[in-house]
Parts: sequence; structure tokens; C-alpha cells
Amino acid sequence: MSRLKRIALLVIPAVFLPVVYAYDVVRAAVKFEIAGLTLFREIFVIISFTLIGLFIENRRKALSRNGPKEIGRVFFAVVISLLVVGLAMIFQPPEFSGRETMNMYHSALFMFISTLIALVLGVVSLYVLFTLHDMILFKRRKSTWRYYLAYLVFLFAACGTELPFFHLEDTFLPPIFFSFAIVFIVVNSFKQNWIVYLSKREKIYSIVYSILMFIVLTVLDVYLASGSGGNNAIISYSRPLHTFIQLNAIFGTIYFGVTFISTLFHLPTAEVFERKQSELNSLHNLSRLVTQVFDFNDLVNTVTQMTSEVCDARSVWLELFSVNVETGEMSVDVVSKKNITQQEIDLIGADDGTQLRRYLLDSQKVLLIEDIWSDRRTKYLKEKGFARGSLLAIPLLSHGKLIGVLHATKEYQNAFDQDDIDVMTTFADHVSIAIENSRLIAKSIERERLHQEMMVAQRMQKRLLPQRLPDIPSVEFAAVSESSFEVGGDYYDVINLPDERIGIVIGDVSGKGVSAAFYMAELKGIVLSLSKICSTPRELLLRANDTLMESLEKNAFISAVYAVLDVPHASLTMARAGHCPVILISGDSSELVRPSGIGLGLTNGSQFAQATEEREIKLKHGDICIFYTDGITEARNAEMEEYGYERLVQVAGECRDCSAEVMKDKILQSVRTFIGQGAYTDDVTLVVVKWLGNSKE
Amino acid sequence: MTDFKIHHRDGDGVSVIELKGYLDAHTAPDLETAFQKLLTEKKYNVVVNCRDLSYISSAGLGVFMAYVEDIRKNMGDIKLTNMSPKVYNVFDLLGFPILYEIYKDEQEAVSRFKEIKK
Repeated sequence: MSRLKRIALLVIPAVFLPVVYAYDVVRAAVKFEIAGLTLFREIFVIISFTLIGLFIENRRKALSRNGPKEIGRVFFAVVISLLVVGLAMIFQPPEFSGRETMNMYHSALFMFISTLIALVLGVVSLYVLFTLHDMILFKRRKSTWRYYLAYLVFLFAACGTELPFFHLEDTFLPPIFFSFAIVFIVVNSFKQNWIVYLSKREKIYSIVYSILMFIVLTVLDVYLASGSGGNNAIISYSRPLHTFIQLNAIFGTIYFGVTFISTLFHLPTAEVFERKQSELNSLHNLSRLVTQVFDFNDLVNTVTQMTSEVCDARSVWLELFSVNVETGEMSVDVVSKKNITQQEIDLIGADDGTQLRRYLLDSQKVLLIEDIWSDRRTKYLKEKGFARGSLLAIPLLSHGKLIGVLHATKEYQNAFDQDDIDVMTTFADHVSIAIENSRLIAKSIERERLHQEMMVAQRMQKRLLPQRLPDIPSVEFAAVSESSFEVGGDYYDVINLPDERIGIVIGDVSGKGVSAAFYMAELKGIVLSLSKICSTPRELLLRANDTLMESLEKNAFISAVYAVLDVPHASLTMARAGHCPVILISGDSSELVRPSGIGLGLTNGSQFAQATEEREIKLKHGDICIFYTDGITEARNAEMEEYGYERLVQVAGECRDCSAEVMKDKILQSVRTFIGQGAYTDDVTLVVVKWLGNSKE
Repeated sequence: MTDFKIHHRDGDGVSVIELKGYLDAHTAPDLETAFQKLLTEKKYNVVVNCRDLSYISSAGLGVFMAYVEDIRKNMGDIKLTNMSPKVYNVFDLLGFPILYEIYKDEQEAVSRFKEIKK
């Protein structure tokens, strides 16, 4: 209901009540009344209070529904109303005292004060009734509602019998309705379910407020039953209203009296109830652990936070064990702590403290120290200034392995009960799983990241290999390189040189993976720069060796062949640095061209120079040179047989009339067929060069 | 995975390492461990018997390169013997015969060490 509508509710009472007052004044002045008009006056009063009641109920709905707070609010309302009534009484005219006030003709001041008192107490009694309504119907059952309704029926019936004009007040009806209303007041007063759900603190509030309420309402009861002037003023104002106020005051008195007693009885169990509630909450919160596995720090902090909530601990800390892969040593990390310093935790871990950890590691069982200062396992902590109290250590197990320990301490000795241990054990199981999951996720994210990095490396390396081979009328080139890992150590290149010469290089870095890939990139740089300067292949390899000797690790080396194809002279000059021999197919014959040489990075300049020779081949039309790495010749099938030179030479010989491209594909296919289901165990690189110059003589 | 075994025996101031099976990137660390052990024990006269070695990859060859320098610095050597033609071909392609003494027979290598001692 909007604010405007709420205020509109007050418009009618604001008109009606002054009308009633005016009527009273006039009536007193003329000392005459019409019976029918008296009834209308009462109806005006009833309508006014009904609307005021609706207004109060609407306002109340906007406020929180907390039992003790509600009682407190009502209490202050009642106290204020009593003060107002008391204050009004100070200005009482003489007619307020004595039985003669029962006749209806009074002074205007008397009428005004009566109206004021009736209004204040009427509003308060409505407020009390609404509050009781909420408390009684806290846990709504059919019977609850029925009993409450019965009270309302008898309340209004009792009020109704007090209406003027019908003259029922002298019959047997008013006391009967009144008595029934009292009976249902008593019945309804036992509906105190809301108390159970209060926290201990709230229960204490409830006790204080309910006893205060009981006292002020008793005062009101006495006042309403007395023959005091104020009371008579209400009666003379409106008898039904008086009954309404009186019954509600009695209802409040009895109800809050019962509230006081039952809250008092509930107090000892308050803590247990509160504990169960928080246990329930915490176990419910376990689901939070599951969603937090993406952030390890959040996760462990939630764990300590929840532990301290569950068992109301002084301090909590979580230790996780990790084993160093290289040294095999176990290290302990405090990943989250609450209310305790690292120094204090270190006290436990130090010296004799290792026994405590030893115990947990060996037994993998819950460790309960009832008194830190007197238990023989932790006595040493007393001298070290560790606070007295009890300690609970719960091992976290994952796949039967101890991954960490969750510790909690309390201020007092023997402070952990079986409930704490049970809940913590259950909790620990979930924590272990959450931690394990968190670690697995972190690991897989890291793995994915590395994989992405490797993919980048792979792309970069692919770009180091020639994107396009030279297109020359007299020569055909075809090449392929495949890595067995994401990145490899094989390298080939076809380089355009001055004077219609073409440099062809193939290399194989020892070892595999990332280190091989780095050397491969270095090799490319060296070869590219040297190819422009060095006049002969041998010279290039010698100078490449000098550079590589410095940068290669002791156990790393590179095998390579560098050849220069001189197109005008139809010749191929090559030098070999420990690499597989080049296959030369010329007409029907085939030859493994293998000038002596030694791998790059194996030995120093002079020995390398001594070992390395150069060979020049005169090319005839249709001659084919095949450069390759040992990934081809050493490719193995399931029976561990090697592909070998013979097969390679045979396959190449069979398609000597094919184009370079077709021959490359045939050889690769043959190798693939040979190894069968398995993958390449080494990088495979193949460069086929077919000479189509000096056309048939 | 491929099978690889190292057998090590000492005699007359010469350590003999017998290699068996496939020496590649996966099994090279085993051989490294064996050489490391020889170095810590100050045994610098090493004969590697390759009679039962079926295959050696570049990573396997790298192991010899990694340790030969230290061994030679201490007046020792690594001598290789009893290679099958196939294994010899791998050594030969890379130019290892220039760097290492390779003998047909283990006894020959052992006696070479003894001659130097005298």
C-alpha cells in the first residue's frame, strides 16, 4: 500500500473523531440525547478505530519481524501511552473522580481528555493485538488459526454486547462472552513457537522485554478494572472500546507472562539450538567450497573461517603438506590462519613439536589435546608461552594419503566435545576433496597453458622452415619436415645465392624437444648469414662449427649437410658434418654420397677442418639428390626393425622418373606404411632435388 | 618402452660398462648416472662394451660427449669396443672414430690402458 493510501486511512478518523467530540459537547450542553444517535456515535468510533488499526498494521508490515524487537517496540508504545494517560490525568477536572462521572454530561475539557485517553489506549491495544497475532501465528497450523479466530470472535462479541441502544449490558451475555474470550486468551498464550528459533542473545532480550511487558500491562489491567477517573473517562467515552482495550491488555499480560516463563526454560537449550543451527549452516556452506576450487586462497580462507564458525574456536589454521619432487623432502605450509600468528604455529612445529606432526603422519587419526599445558605431547608449549586451552587436529586425507592438517584451538580445557569432532571430521572430508580438486584444476590449467605455449612455439618453428621453395626451370624441389613432438630439432632450407647458385642445407640437432628447437633456430641464423659470405660448403661448415662450439652444451651437437647447386655449371658441391649420406640417383644407379666429416659442435676447429672434406658431383639430366634426416632411416615398425637405407634407396629408385614432389610423397608414404600404427619416434625431414638442366645430349 | 640395461664391472684399474638394448633419449639418463658414478668414484679409465647395444640415438651419443672431457682432464679415457656394424655406422657417420678410440675387442681396449700406465 502506498504511503498516500496509508495516510488516506487516517482521513476518516480525523473527521469522525472530532464529529463525535462535537456531538458529545453539544449533548452535554443540551443535556439531552436521542437513543439512535448514540448508536451512530458508537459506529463512528468503531469505524475510526478500525481504520486506525488498518493504518497501524500497514506500518508494522514495513518493519522487521523479529520477536524480541517487536516486544520491545510494543513495550515502549505501552509505556508512552501510560505516560500520556498519566499526564492527561494531571489536568483532570474534579468530575473525573467519583461514581457520578458515570452519567454522560460533562464539561468540554473532560470530553477532550476522555477522547485523548481513549485514542491513545485504543491505538496501543490494537498494536498489542497485532503483535500477539504475529507471535501466535508464527508457525501456522489449522488449530492455531482456529483458536486465534475464536478469541477474536469472543472479543468482538464482548465488545458488541456493550453497544448502547440494544441494552444488552445487563443480560447474562457480556460476562459469558468475556469469560470465553479469557479462556481463548489462555489457550492462545501457549502458542510460543517463535521462541525456539531465537538465538541466545535474542532470548535474553525476550526475557527482559516480556517481563517488562508483563508488568506494564498488569498496571494497565488494574487501571482498567479500577474505578479511577481515567478509567471512567474511557467507559463514558465508549464502552465497547473499553472492553476491547481491557481484553487485549489481559491477553498481553497473560501471553507475555507465559513468554517470560517459557523463554526462561528455553534458555539453557539456546546454545545447543544455536550450535545445531550454525552446524547446519556450515554444512550447507560446504557447497560453497565446491564453487571456490578455482581460487585456492579463497578456498583455504573459507575453510578456516567456516571451521571457526562451526566449533566456535579461538584460533584455526590449515597446514598443507607438499613433497619436493627433486629432494623428496616434505615441507609444511600454513596456507591459511585465523587469530594466530605464524610464530605461534611455528612453536608447535619446532623441536619436540615434530612429534606431534609425526603422530598425525603415522596415525592419520584425529588428535585431541584436552589441555595443551598438561598433555604430555604438548607440555613443552607451556614454557614457550603458548596459550592454555584445548587443541583439535584433524588430518586431511586424500586417497589414503595425508595432505594436510586442520587445527583448531579453544580457550578452555576439555572444550571440544564429540559434536565438534564429528562435525569437523565430516568437514575435513569435504575440505580434502575441495583442496584436491583445486590442485587438479590448477595443474590442468597450467598444463593447458604450457600446451598453448608449445603450440605457439610450434607455429614459430614452422615459420623458420622455408615457406616457398625456389622456382627455377632446371631444378625441381620438394621438401617436408614433420616433428614427433610439438617442436623438433630438424632443419632444412633452400637458399638463393648469387651467380645462379642455390644453397641446400639439412640439419638434425641431437636430442629432442625445446632445447633442440632452440639450437635449430640458431643453426638457421648461422647458416643464413654464412651462406652469403662463404664461397664453399666446407668453409661454411667450418665457420658454423666455430660458432656452435661456443654455444652448444657439451652433450649437444648437430649433424648437417650443406650443398651448393651451381646451375650454370650443372654441379653440386657438398660438405657433410656427421649427417646421413646424400642419396644420388643417376640413371639406373644409385649412390650414397658420404664425404668424410664430423658433427658440428663435437670438436674444435682444427680437428673438425681435418676431418671435413668436400665433394663435387657433376649433374646429368634427371639426376636426383635426396637429403634426409635419420628420422627416416631409423624409423621403426612394431617389430623394432629399422626402415634403413636399402628401403629408402629402393623406393627412390622405383620412382626415379617421377617429379620431385611425387617422389617426396612416395618416400614419406612408404615410411608411414612401414611404421604402421605407431607415431614417428623422431623428427622426419626430407628434401628431394631433381636436376632437369643440360637437357638430353 | 624400449629396453636398456647397463652392467658395470671393475678390474685391473679399468672400469667396463656393458650396454644392452636401446640407448635413446629415454634411456640416456641411465648412462649419465653410470658415468656420474664413475666420476665420483674417480674411475677415469672407462671401456664401454657395446656388444649387446642394439641402437644408439644422438641423445645417447651426447652422453659420451658430456663426460669425455672431464675424464680426459683426469688422464683417463673412454674407449668403445665390440660394436655391431649397425651401431658402428651411427658412430662413424657422426665422425666419432676421430674423437674416440674404438676397438673390436674389449680386451684390446683394456690392454691399451695398461700399456699407457706402464
